[in-house]
Amino acid sequence: MDLYSDGLLKWQDIFRPLMGALGVKPHTLVRWFDTNTFFRAPELGGRIQTVTNPDGVVPDASVPRPRAATLPSPFMFSRAAHTDQDRNRLMIELARQVLRPAIDAAVAGGAELIHLQDPWLGYFGIKPDDWAPLGEALGVLHHELKATLAFHVYFGDAGPHIDQLQRLPVDAIGVDLIETDVAELGSGWDKGLVAGIINGRSSILESLDNTVEVARHLADTVRPRNLYLTSNCELGYLPTGVAERKVLRLGEAARKAKELVSV
Amino acid sequence: MSAEIDHKPLLTHEVGSLDKPGWRVKAYAGKPLDDKDLEEARSWGERLTVPEYEKLLDLLRHAPFSKEQKAEIQRWSSLYALRLEESAGLDVVYDGEQQRTEMYDWAVNHTNGFERRGSVRAFDNKYYSKAAVVGPISLREPFHNAEFSYLVSVADAELKIPVTGAYTIADWSFDERYDKDTDLREPAKGRRRKRKAARRDFVLEVSRNLIRPNLDSLIGLGARWIQVDEPGASTEEDELDLFVDSFNASVEGLNATFSTHLCFSDYNLFFPAIERMSQCRQYAVGFANYDSRELGTSDEKRPGYQVIKKFRDLSYKPALGLGVLDIHSDFIESPELVRDRVLYAVKVFGDPGRIHVTPDCGLRTRSWKVAYEKLRNMTAGVQLARETLRI
Repeated sequence: MDLYSDGLLKWQDIFRPLMGALGVKPHTLVRWFDTNTFFRAPELGGRIQTVTNPDGVVPDASVPRPRAATLPSPFMFSRAAHTDQDRNRLMIELARQVLRPAIDAAVAGGAELIHLQDPWLGYFGIKPDDWAPLGEALGVLHHELKATLAFHVYFGDAGPHIDQLQRLPVDAIGVDLIETDVAELGSGWDKGLVAGIINGRSSILESLDNTVEVARHLADTVRPRNLYLTSNCELGYLPTGVAERKVLRLGEAARKAKELVSV
Repeated sequence: MSAEIDHKPLLTHEVGSLDKPGWRVKAYAGKPLDDKDLEEARSWGERLTVPEYEKLLDLLRHAPFSKEQKAEIQRWSSLYALRLEESAGLDVVYDGEQQRTEMYDWAVNHTNGFERRGSVRAFDNKYYSKAAVVGPISLREPFHNAEFSYLVSVADAELKIPVTGAYTIADWSFDERYDKDTDLREPAKGRRRKRKAARRDFVLEVSRNLIRPNLDSLIGLGARWIQVDEPGASTEEDELDLFVDSFNASVEGLNATFSTHLCFSDYNLFFPAIERMSQCRQYAVGFANYDSRELGTSDEKRPGYQVIKKFRDLSYKPALGLGVLDIHSDFIESPELVRDRVLYAVKVFGDPGRIHVTPDCGLRTRSWKVAYEKLRNMTAGVQLARETLRI
């Protein structure tokens, strides 16, 4: 691996440390997309307070550096919340008051890649009018950020959204290649590509040769500014032993792909 | 053919699991019991007037336990859970699945074709074990017969047997048999189509080769009402038809009353698919988790129950097992809150005969104290509703 995280093992769900930092105790249990995992829906009524102590998002000292920090994207956060507010306004407010302080804390804690998860966009899609507010919210997070900001769409086909995704103010776009056609990614990206090539929902271990070939294919055809190899989604749907084997396979494939590209 | 059982209006029952007492868990695991465990066994035995519970206390004092003694302790645990439900006033009971490890694990461990892979998080810090299908699926041995035979011998109230359904078993498993590692350079649409076809084969094989023979065996022992638990049913929005096909393949032609349990889903997704599930005579569905805790019987006061109209309008007129207890919270619903949830449902259905009253799901994440209080208030709330409706 080139970047490390603690796997969010202490997080009960992707929103929980942030809700803790807001002093809000979530209640309603909701299915996490099409998985057998559930999250407590953030209850976000009224004005959002500025988070002043987002320590819960920073891994402990045992995690090696450089680190990657994973957080919910403002789009997903605003859509998954129980709220009576306008969701686009809420999205921008969450970016300013909650996510930016959390990102700053993560960067101060050694994060060089900020990985924003967005299964919502992949699974449910996005309305045309929501792209501009999403861009605004991501702009809040990207402004003078001393780390790479990645926006990762998964649990769905990113193909129909590629043009819009490339216009977002982030450094890299993540796609779920279990759901997305490689051919739809186009070529000559001026952003990084976070390529989800390991299936985080299947216990079948990917073939090494096949994974290396896919990585090479992406490097040759999509030609992103940077290519990041990762799983298509979080690995929390896998038992630890299976996840470990997949991470090892990913590292092995990345090492081999780098050798081949550098030749 | 799904048989009808004539039930009174506002019938009450549990949904499935209860927590396992510390003495049962430790004894089974071979861990030492302490005074607290013995006191738990004594106090609940006394409170629930479990016949001859002193014999359990005597047994628990004589660790280590043989295999036969462990089985005996499990039966005591079943008896305690049964008495808890009967004592709370439920009309239809079971044993809180005391003799099973867990609803998924128990089923796949009695099945050929699966291998364990480890545990994964379900919610908060609760985990469940997952297995992978690796070969042809078949029933190794009927896996609810022993508990059912025992419960028939000790239950005063009517029994309803919870059985994990085919779709949920498949959905909670990894597929290493039908699904294959694919080349991501192939078109995604083609890969998706293959994945869905593999999934269909997997689910229907579980229905035919695992669930159905197990149900058949229970019916042979005299089971009259079997609840097919499908908490995973709506996981994949585009597979609701497959869920219905799996239910129908599991029960078609078997002579018992079949119901199903659904929970923690957007229940709108089940429509129109379940219009084809006419052999399901009752849907036990969790609603309280989504509802307000305010009293009242208006639409505004009962936001968690708005979808029940769709169950009302099913042409084959199944009963609705109305979830009125949030099983993920220690909040004790008052009898008045239960009453209002029930009255709202009766108002929507216009027929109390089609409303049964239940917790949202199994109560295994709550302590017995909390579960007992919740269930007692549930039956008290139903009594209040009956008085209001004069039935």
